[in-house]
Amino acid sequence: MINPKPQIHSTAKPQVPHYTRLEAPNGTPLYVLHNSNQGVVRVSFVFRAGTSYQSVPFSASAVVNTLTEGTEQLSGREIAERLDFVGSYYDANIDRDWAVVTFCSLSKFSPETMDIAEQVVLHPTFPEREISVYCHKRKEQLDVQRSKPDQLSRELFGQAIFGQTHPYGITSPSEEYDHLTPAILREFYESHYTAEGCFAVLCGDISSADTKRVLAILGGLRRGGTALVREIPAPDPVEYAKWHFEGAVQSSVKVGVPLFPRSNPDFIPMQVVATAMGGYFGSRLMQNLRERNGLTYGAYAAMINLDRSGYFVMSAEVAGEATDRAIAEVMAEVERITTKPLHPKELSVVKKIIFGDVMRIFDGPFGVADVSIENIQNGTDNSYTENFLAQVESLTPKMLRDVAARNIDKNELTVTIVGD
Amino acid sequence: MIDYKEHILANGLRVLVNHDQCSQMAAVNLLYIAGSVDEEPERSGFAHLFEHLMFRGTRNIPSYDAHVQQICGENNAFTSADYTDFYVTMPKENFEVALWLEADRMRNLNISRPRLETEKSVVIEEFNQRYLNRPYAEQWHTLRSMVYTTSPYRWPVIGQTPDHIRHASLDDVRAFYDKFYLPSNAILSVSGDLDAERVFEAAERQFGHLPLVEAPVRTIATEPPITSARRTELHSAVPADQITIAFLMERRSEHGYYLCDMLTDLLAGGESARLYQRLIKEQQIFSAANAYITGECGQGMLILTGQLSSDVTIEQAEAALWGEIERLATEPIGDYELQKVKNKFEANITFGELNVMNKAMNLGYYRMLGDMSLLNGEVEIYRSITSAELADYVARNLTPNKSATLIYHRKND
Repeated sequence: MINPKPQIHSTAKPQVPHYTRLEAPNGTPLYVLHNSNQGVVRVSFVFRAGTSYQSVPFSASAVVNTLTEGTEQLSGREIAERLDFVGSYYDANIDRDWAVVTFCSLSKFSPETMDIAEQVVLHPTFPEREISVYCHKRKEQLDVQRSKPDQLSRELFGQAIFGQTHPYGITSPSEEYDHLTPAILREFYESHYTAEGCFAVLCGDISSADTKRVLAILGGLRRGGTALVREIPAPDPVEYAKWHFEGAVQSSVKVGVPLFPRSNPDFIPMQVVATAMGGYFGSRLMQNLRERNGLTYGAYAAMINLDRSGYFVMSAEVAGEATDRAIAEVMAEVERITTKPLHPKELSVVKKIIFGDVMRIFDGPFGVADVSIENIQNGTDNSYTENFLAQVESLTPKMLRDVAARNIDKNELTVTIVGD
Repeated sequence: MIDYKEHILANGLRVLVNHDQCSQMAAVNLLYIAGSVDEEPERSGFAHLFEHLMFRGTRNIPSYDAHVQQICGENNAFTSADYTDFYVTMPKENFEVALWLEADRMRNLNISRPRLETEKSVVIEEFNQRYLNRPYAEQWHTLRSMVYTTSPYRWPVIGQTPDHIRHASLDDVRAFYDKFYLPSNAILSVSGDLDAERVFEAAERQFGHLPLVEAPVRTIATEPPITSARRTELHSAVPADQITIAFLMERRSEHGYYLCDMLTDLLAGGESARLYQRLIKEQQIFSAANAYITGECGQGMLILTGQLSSDVTIEQAEAALWGEIERLATEPIGDYELQKVKNKFEANITFGELNVMNKAMNLGYYRMLGDMSLLNGEVEIYRSITSAELADYVARNLTPNKSATLIYHRKND
């Protein structure tokens, strides 16, 4: 037997919190989001210092990863000790466009954590010995990474879709770590970790002292951002690329096309297309490749946003002997989504998935900060997220078919395979 | 700190609620006390395969996911050695739909032969992706079979071999379902801006009609101690040599568990910890190293592991790891360092309770452990640990004759 289904209630609209914008004397903005519920504080310093700005391979990631290896007042060991002692953590992240340095602490240990943040952001020294250890270690880790098919697959796809020397596609041999020096890192730091290329987001259970402290750190950044200009040529995709991986049990397959950044009016509808295609468990690729055919553990699709470009990608790890069949199924799904409107019921599900995802991100103090960072990086504010939800709501099946047809040409797709 | 209220239905279902007034979301967690320790040795991997089957529909509700999607929900599940956990997060207004779905599939699961066959091939691909298609692929299978001879922890949750999954039958599915998927063998926990009484009433409405069936009594064979050093050396196409040293440790309910947790934090809990500072940065013996406990309810493992820098020999690296164990036993651990790892426990507990999903999961997990005072009380246990008892533990237990060592040699080709 079964109970009657509980009545479905309408749900409150996601509340998109808005931040307060403050400014350091040198013009560097600080965005503040109060949330006093959890007793934690997080600050992120965001710099236009991603890998596409580097002229020396691995230099951009080496800078952000070694900021904590030594400063004018503290050794790397002392920094690690002092953060660990109060249970704070430090995180360095880099993508093609941005480098982000984050400190997170219990509110009661915020002053101690801010002391370290100031040293790390403003006074790193890139000590010779620590840099050499770092390069040695990263070189070996990269070799380990590159012995995994999924890592190789990401690299191959980037090269195939943008071009082997394109700033968004290039990868370098691990031997390049042998040529990195503290001088190279110092130069990159001085030209890219500047007031013009930076903003910060402070969130959580913050005190006025925290706000003052972060403003003071930002105020200490030097001005001068001439190095923030870079050349991003048009993508130069190839149709097909394959790397042989001896003994691989599965093939890592990616299919995609270079498109545009988030500012393009087709971006949001394409995000909805990507969600329908492979953005949730009931999505078309998942249903086809996993649920109906058992070819894979997971199949995904996404729209990826870059500062000056973007792409649509579908991916799956499939049994080696099923590679061709999986690609044929992916192509059949492309054909379907570009020629037939979604069923209204399917579209309604996709909208609910997206709506739920946004609400989940906003649960907890840090998700709001992450959304804010992304909005600011893209030159918008948090009203973007409200507009995003409204626009998703307004899309019709025909609009989505048209936007898919306009942007995904079956004959122009790039296919990459890493497998045996 | 997680506040909660608890209520037990007549059929034995335990219901726990955390009323979190800060969130627009609710999380519903349903934990079954069924894991890979409950499997037959020749039917390993079955608890995990069964977790997958729970999403394959019932007589009344062919698609579980469709109903979750309708309420903007997201759901997933995982299987461990000790339990299987299903969770849904959604806007709080519709939490009862999640209870309705869970009650239905606790009773009415309907698995056909074709569905079972498809799910078996999905799980075999998961096996391939996670355990075969990568370097050091066989390390967990090998290590578990070295440390354990008797207890069901000797096979990984995914199973001993894909063949065990291939051979699972519809009869196995039915027997497992009837034995373990019972109200009396489950824990329902909810976190969100929901009054506890309201959740209890909803639980009564949705689960109350399910009959009381006695939960199975779990007996896990005790693993005899390791009494002489065990060692396996593999030659494989891996990117770097690797050493893993494992010890059999205490159960989750014993004091030794906390000592082991703290010891591995001294070794590897953060960048200032010993392995990172001494063996990676100062001596550059390893390019990566770690120490941790595997965290099962029964006798888990304490593990030290590292990937060697290219110009270091296995002998040097192994000696270095043993040197660090030796130091823990012979050099007193200073107050400062002890204070540091204790502070870290406290902070990590706060960081681990930031959203409704984590809170609902923690409620279920601690209820399963059987001692709810641990939910908010473990910080005090860590705070009470002394340097002397840690050193004593290491001297008595972390010795070569009680260890199992797995070495990977990089095959040059």
